[in-house]
Amino acid sequence: MAILLKQATALVIDDFQSMRSMLVGFLKAMEVASIDSAAHAKEALGLLATKKYDIVICDYSLGQGQNGQQILEEAKHKNYIGYSTIWVMVTAEKTMDMFMGAAETRPDDYLLKPITEAMLEARLNKLIEKKRSLEPVEKAVKSKDYQRAIALCDELLKKHTTGTQEIQRIKSDLLITTGDFSAAKAYFESILAVRSMPWAKTGLGKVHFLAKDFARAKEIFQEVLEENKMYLEAADWLSKTLDAMGDLEQAQNVLSKAMELSPNAVARQKNLADAAYKNGDLDLAQASYEKAIKIGQYSVYKSSSTYAGLAKVLTAKDDPEEALKVLDRTREEFKGDPEAALQTAVIEGMAYQKMGDPERAGEALAAAEELMRSQPAGVSAATTMDMANALFKLGKKDEACSLLENVVKNNHENAGIIKMVAAAFEDAGMGEEGGELIRKSSQEVVNINNQGVILANEGKFEEGIKLMRQALQNLPNNDLMLTNLCGMMIGLMSKKGKDDSLIFEARELLERVQKINPSNKKYSAYMSILNKLAPPA
Amino acid sequence: MNQEDIDFSDFIASSIHDMKNSLNIQIGFLEELMGECRNKVDGSMLGQLGHTIYEANRMNVNLIQILSLYKLGKSIYPMDIAEQSVKEVLDEVVLQNQSIMGFKGITVSVACDEDCYWYFDRDLVTGVLVNALNNAYNYTTDKIRVVAQVRDGMLEMRVEDNGRGYPKSLLQENVASNKGVSFSSGSTGLGFYFSSRVAGMHKNGGKQGALSIENGGAYGGGCFVLTLP
Repeated sequence: MAILLKQATALVIDDFQSMRSMLVGFLKAMEVASIDSAAHAKEALGLLATKKYDIVICDYSLGQGQNGQQILEEAKHKNYIGYSTIWVMVTAEKTMDMFMGAAETRPDDYLLKPITEAMLEARLNKLIEKKRSLEPVEKAVKSKDYQRAIALCDELLKKHTTGTQEIQRIKSDLLITTGDFSAAKAYFESILAVRSMPWAKTGLGKVHFLAKDFARAKEIFQEVLEENKMYLEAADWLSKTLDAMGDLEQAQNVLSKAMELSPNAVARQKNLADAAYKNGDLDLAQASYEKAIKIGQYSVYKSSSTYAGLAKVLTAKDDPEEALKVLDRTREEFKGDPEAALQTAVIEGMAYQKMGDPERAGEALAAAEELMRSQPAGVSAATTMDMANALFKLGKKDEACSLLENVVKNNHENAGIIKMVAAAFEDAGMGEEGGELIRKSSQEVVNINNQGVILANEGKFEEGIKLMRQALQNLPNNDLMLTNLCGMMIGLMSKKGKDDSLIFEARELLERVQKINPSNKKYSAYMSILNKLAPPA
Repeated sequence: MNQEDIDFSDFIASSIHDMKNSLNIQIGFLEELMGECRNKVDGSMLGQLGHTIYEANRMNVNLIQILSLYKLGKSIYPMDIAEQSVKEVLDEVVLQNQSIMGFKGITVSVACDEDCYWYFDRDLVTGVLVNALNNAYNYTTDKIRVVAQVRDGMLEMRVEDNGRGYPKSLLQENVASNKGVSFSSGSTGLGFYFSSRVAGMHKNGGKQGALSIENGGAYGGGCFVLTLP
């Protein structure tokens, strides 16, 4: 981060030549060290990829192609810009998309036109000051020393400067990240006692959701929307909550309404399509996937699973020929993406099966199996389930069962996924055998874990670690096993002293746990032990 | 899309949006031109240029207000109530209008504590203040004062001038009520209507924002008062 405006490198993005030269002129007058400009998204992203900018001033609407928000999202996603980059969006009017999105894809500031030089300079200086004050917090977060980051936030909050809300947000996110739900809840409540703010109330609802108190979470999200119907993050969470409560129909309705208010949100449109598919509303699912593909064309949220979803719907609607066309397009658009290759192969199998061509269906699924073997940790439960369903239809029971067995072992404590597995067995007319297999597979995981716990109790940490590491090779996504392994590493270190490589490995394990199951209770406890063992620099 | 699908107000809104873009570029050029002319042309020409910019800004302010009202009316305005440094907001509003004020020889001062923070939608409140400044520009002799302080748990923002003050007839009317458009007096009432809508959009703990006008203040002229809970 440049300490002064005069040392900064800046990029101006605007499609209007006159606006561009005006903004460049302002920066020149401020004696900014280096100034580049771009007329459209492609040019801008090309520059962002090759040069590090301290300041980006970007017009929101850029005619055809990506808009300013989408450039920001892509630049963040591809790590072209870091936390220290100041991104100022210039806009003729306030738009939803800019600050209703996720916090990490929000611009640092936005300026309503017309812009004067004095105003721009004042804002930029304020932003530089703000970035500098948040630098230590960011450092602590990067080295995963969350306790220290929280303490630093408290210090900043005591000083009370501008940007209080941003610091409050960071602090509350950190409390959730460390799994300290009761502290997070108390913190949101203390903010809400002063004033009802939609972000804080949504945060409170999130905490209830993560603590699995769905009924209370639902109430809170509904309240947020009653007070401020444009706060659509609450709608996304409400839908998620309803889904978790098994009320799929309402979950879909909530997303439908949110889409009417903000028709260009790609991720939400896809969630709506998924919900409609789950509800068997195939027409809406098809329309929603199609729209998600269309509006996501220039977005980082463009995803192969949206295309795969559309192909799946078309197959279900007895139009496998059209599904195959969509799959061809998917392969074209996502060349070199292993996840996309797998998804397309699985659905291709389903489509050929529907067309009464078991031979080609078999070939497609064989290719899918090959792809699955080459990326064991990256395959989602949903794709695996699709695959198993397709294999059942082809009469390949053994393969299907072994896939489902794997899903169970990786997720033996996840009731929702286990229910889906049971349903897949039921559909294949194997309800009873399936139930037995689920019980046996879960038991197997429990046994390995118990064995590990016994070894740990006897102080045989090295043996326990070996056992767990081995088991995790086949079950990379089992959060219970991941936390137990981490616990044994901590045990070993408390006996034999700290070991930097073990600490590093343990932190990585915990990060995977956090990803798989954000509400894992042991996560926070282990993380704080690790932080005490090795206070990150 | 069928033609019937297009709501006429949507059509107006998108046209305004387009007009605003042109206007912004125009204002940018005018400011640039003024910078270049400052030392080259005589005072009366500069004054005319200043007035041109004032009128363009006024037009822009009106367009922003109409667009915001359109969105508020459709309940699609993204309200963003957040804690703001009041001093910072006031300084920026004054800075934005500095050049125009300069040409009429008007000095604008800001009176607000550095550590005064309050919760509001920055853009909407900025719009209200710019509107108030524009009014004061018309009525003042040569001084405008922008004051803000927290009083009885509410933030009070005042724009005071040293002109003759508001006429009695205007003071007697309730500015917060929508008195409608009067083509004969030339006043559309847009500024007041917008400002009172914005005041009303700010709510907290059962209290609501309010707008009022009075005569007096530090200079004994017109005072425009926005109170936010």
